[in-house]
Amino acid sequence: MTVEKNMDDNVIGRAASSINDENFIKEQERLLPIANVGRIMKGILPSNAKISKDSKETMQECVSEFISFVTSEASDKCRKERRKTVNGDDVCWALETLGFDDFAGPIRRYLHRYREIEVDRANQDRVRNIVDDDQREA
Amino acid sequence: MRQAGVYSGMVSGGRTGPHLLPLARIKKIMKKSGDNVKMISGEAPIVFSKACELFIEELTRRSWMVAMQGKRRTLHKDDVATAIVATDIFDFLVDLVSSGNSINPLDFSPVEMETVLES
Repeated sequence: MTVEKNMDDNVIGRAASSINDENFIKEQERLLPIANVGRIMKGILPSNAKISKDSKETMQECVSEFISFVTSEASDKCRKERRKTVNGDDVCWALETLGFDDFAGPIRRYLHRYREIEVDRANQDRVRNIVDDDQREA
Repeated sequence: MRQAGVYSGMVSGGRTGPHLLPLARIKKIMKKSGDNVKMISGEAPIVFSKACELFIEELTRRSWMVAMQGKRRTLHKDDVATAIVATDIFDFLVDLVSSGNSINPLDFSPVEMETVLES
């Protein structure tokens, strides 16, 4: 973004604040939303617990670091095996390799449930299409 | 990535439903983790959405134990830092929480840490 020398302060001020907005957005995009993070934290704590804003912010940073850390491990594996795409199994493998093997069971169940939902949804679409076709033929 | 409709109903239903965390954002963060990362399959962010949830829960639980040890009911950043230093699998986070921070890992011996977490 170029700012010409003879623009008045007002315009320069607006340009600067627009750059700050852009940087703010870029910052936020490397973190998961604080509301979602906070909700998960709250869910695991007793009802009388309070959570400071700085601990939520710290947690946001930690989660992004976690994603990067595990993704790097998974993508290194793909590179060594000459594969271009990091898939779900690579992420699971990386989690286990890095010491998060307790996560494996719950993740497998979660994936299974997700796949069931996807199949149900595909079937509903299929049924809906069949019904539409029947009605059209009548 | 599609997310509306079917899923929003399930999220409000609780933990059986998918995606407490936005998949598109997870994918963005994955892409930023290195030049190596070129293509990401559809399921990888989904695995992460659950893994991140479990990660947050584990770190929060341990941080809470630290706060309780200090007889406090409010979770603070230092509690998170202490829990990180005390837990092997969170070693990769030590630098993240130690920059310009009041917590000094050398103040706590491994034995003291274990005591904090077991109480």
